[in-house]
Amino acid sequence: MNEPLSVSTSSSSDLTTTSSSDYAEVFDLHECATTGVDVDNYFSDVLIDQYAQDVVDFSSQYGSDYSISYTALNITGRPCKYPDYGDFPETFAMRTYGDWWESAPSRLPEIRPQNNPKITAQDFIVVRFEQFVIPEKIILFETYNPGALVRIWSHDITEKWILLWEDEPHNYGPKSRKFSPPLKKMKLPTKVIRLEFNHSCLDYFTEIDGITLIGRKCNVFSQSDFLSRCRRRNRKGPILRKLESLRFRPCYKENHQDYLRDFLVNDLEKFIRESALLHDDGEKENTQLGLRDMPCEILLKIFSYLDMKSLFRMGLVCKQMYEITNHPLLYSEINLKPYWHLSSSELLRTLANRCTLLKKLDLSWCGLYGTISPTEFKKFIQQRGDNLTHLRLNSCKFLNASCMETVGIVCDNLKELSLRNYSNETNILSFSCLANLRNLERLDLFRTYIETELLLTMLENNPKLKHLNLAFCGIGVNMDEIASHISKYNRELVSIDMWKSHSLSSVGLQALSVCSHLEEVDFGWCLREEALPGESLKCLLRGCPNLKKLFLAAIRGITDRDLENIANLCPQLEQLDLMGVLGISTEKCYEILVKCKKLKLLDLSFCDHIDEAQIANWREQFPVSIKRSCVPSDFFI
Amino acid sequence: MQSLCWTTRFLSRALRNGFATLVEPHVKPRPRFVSVVCGFPKDFLESKYKLGKFGDDAWFKTQTPNADVIGVADGVGGWRSYGIDPGEFSSFLMKTCERLVHCSGFNPQRPVNLLTYSYCELLEQKKPILGSSTACVLVLHRETSTLYTANIGDSGFIVVRKGEIVHRSEEQQHYFNTPFQLSLPPPGHGHNVLSDSPESADTLSFPVKEGDVILVATDGVFDNVPVKILLDVLKEIEGENDPVKLQMTANTIALMARSLSFDSEFMSPFAINARRNNINATGGKPDDITVVLATIVA
Repeated sequence: MNEPLSVSTSSSSDLTTTSSSDYAEVFDLHECATTGVDVDNYFSDVLIDQYAQDVVDFSSQYGSDYSISYTALNITGRPCKYPDYGDFPETFAMRTYGDWWESAPSRLPEIRPQNNPKITAQDFIVVRFEQFVIPEKIILFETYNPGALVRIWSHDITEKWILLWEDEPHNYGPKSRKFSPPLKKMKLPTKVIRLEFNHSCLDYFTEIDGITLIGRKCNVFSQSDFLSRCRRRNRKGPILRKLESLRFRPCYKENHQDYLRDFLVNDLEKFIRESALLHDDGEKENTQLGLRDMPCEILLKIFSYLDMKSLFRMGLVCKQMYEITNHPLLYSEINLKPYWHLSSSELLRTLANRCTLLKKLDLSWCGLYGTISPTEFKKFIQQRGDNLTHLRLNSCKFLNASCMETVGIVCDNLKELSLRNYSNETNILSFSCLANLRNLERLDLFRTYIETELLLTMLENNPKLKHLNLAFCGIGVNMDEIASHISKYNRELVSIDMWKSHSLSSVGLQALSVCSHLEEVDFGWCLREEALPGESLKCLLRGCPNLKKLFLAAIRGITDRDLENIANLCPQLEQLDLMGVLGISTEKCYEILVKCKKLKLLDLSFCDHIDEAQIANWREQFPVSIKRSCVPSDFFI
Repeated sequence: MQSLCWTTRFLSRALRNGFATLVEPHVKPRPRFVSVVCGFPKDFLESKYKLGKFGDDAWFKTQTPNADVIGVADGVGGWRSYGIDPGEFSSFLMKTCERLVHCSGFNPQRPVNLLTYSYCELLEQKKPILGSSTACVLVLHRETSTLYTANIGDSGFIVVRKGEIVHRSEEQQHYFNTPFQLSLPPPGHGHNVLSDSPESADTLSFPVKEGDVILVATDGVFDNVPVKILLDVLKEIEGENDPVKLQMTANTIALMARSLSFDSEFMSPFAINARRNNINATGGKPDDITVVLATIVA
């Protein structure tokens, strides 16, 4: 059997002070499965392969929710493009690539980065298959820029996440790939697989055509059925089984109580020695200074560099350490995103006791499959939320209307609020109490549906707003109105992302031109109705001389005149995206390369009128990464 | 001689193509299509053969457990002078319709949604796809034995039962030789390009019976072959469930349309229409030809 990988070795009880009966039960099942006797007749030797049936959750996608191009759902079913290589709309693509987003003005520092594992995940997708199997092999069909996959998790039948595979991200170059990494052997059946990605090595967006799960078929139809049968077969706990394996046969004839007392008084020592439960470390007097001799302040300083898991483990050393590791100063910033697989209501309760000075909280990605109850979260926020300045709740499955209400009422000091991926739950979630917030500097509503009215009120109430992300905010939001509100109330804005907001027109563009601090604008796929945004774009560029990132992807009306304006008015420009713009010429692109001295990224994908030979020249001549994505030429013909 | 050689090669390819896509039998006796395809591009030399395309025409047929779907689209050739391949638009439209049929939200009773969504999908492509196209989509809803149709422009269908045309699509034209069309003009040309919304599609729904013959075709067929002749051919194959025989009939219709379209003497439906509009014309109208022929079997 493979050595279990680092992340999965510790069970959830690591992060909690008390281990509940639930965990004992799960542990039981694992034992029972590893001994293999009882459960084995569930599994046949028949290998079956299945394609993904359904997408349970994902962190980002390139396409809009209502579309079928570049969206997460494309990972389901039979791969339709593999082995072709290219930028196909029939595949699943995510929102970012490379480190370009990390070097943009809107980059987001991690809360307690020491919590992150060596390989961080930037995106994830959870897919469901039709039947429970014991996974033997997983095949990922990557049809564009392969190599971003860093982890594969499986959600087994006992609702525990097991890490099946992990590796550094790589750049495999421009060819499609059928990727099947060696998996850790698993004893329990699963039908839910989670993939995690890190795009930092990639040249452009990665695209995934499909995923196959090959595994031994097992005759499990429902989870409850399996669990109840396992329970019936094996009711013994770990201690009882340990005793059994030591052939320790207590005699029950006498009074039970007396026997136990007798055992504790007389035989316990012998039992411990024989069963080697206690390590004989030698009782030599240690004259060296140990951690325990340090002053509390120093220890606190040292511990503040620990990740949360190590901190919890440290607390198991002794009482003194436990007390120090419980110190509220160590819990002023909490980031559970790297521990999404261990997050639970119980953990939240434990943390609530410790984090009396909580300032920053990141619960992103936590709570899938009900591991965190909304009530527990609400209680947590009520107890510890009033000093919160940073709150990130991206893709949290436990949020409901009353949770949101609590956040709005309690956390009135919030400077940063991140609520990504609440697009489907519009009718369940109501954000109306967010209108209470007055100190926001950053608001991230990526792929979250919000009403225009509320957003307007929020803009009005938060004059210090610096970063605003409204990408994929739905068709419901009138971006022109938002833009004119921003021009009135939020002139300190530094970055704005309106990716795929179809309602933005040149009126909105013009309004934004008064925000002279703007350094980053993303208008990708906006201005659809607008034939030629020329004048308003010029106005914006003139009004914002500090622009570093300008994304104008798929604004088909961009012309040479606009490029001329960009070249002349944006001396600070570092990233420029002109993907899918037809009406621009080679000469004007050259002009930009010459005049924008700080340019590092230029996306000219699908700009058909640009001379390919010239681009090759430019790549040698300028220190600029020029992107040229394409679909194979015979794709449409 | 050269051209004859090309023609035969394409004919045999078309035949093979038709045979390859036979409909598999189903367990439950519910109405379904037995369908075949045949067609020719207007100019063999200029067009590359690709499944689902005949020149600027495109077609698809597919099925779900619940429904059988057929669609044809005719890319508007006028875009060629703008440097735009008109086949790309129609081909994308049909391909997307086919994908949408297999999506979870597919409603067999609203074929117009297929057109609407695939038109919206055009706007979501990284690669700009410009041009315009007519389109006609038919969905057989198995449960209710009802055919739901949406048609925009001058492609269309006819349904033949007991030697008579029981249903047919209505041609939608702005004026002579200018059909309704879904279009995505290049930026800046928006105001002087005809563009009809997918919602303006003509929708019909009617019950069908076992044995009904359905012909779905682009204007290359309807402009060149008089309906009477079509009817004569179609009534021969009522109730036919042998795809080979259907294929022969489809080939006949396609070949007939092709020969008539190059016949300069023939008073084609197109020429008759032209005369109605005070344009003196005789002969057929050379065009891409797509024939999808289906019968309903239980």
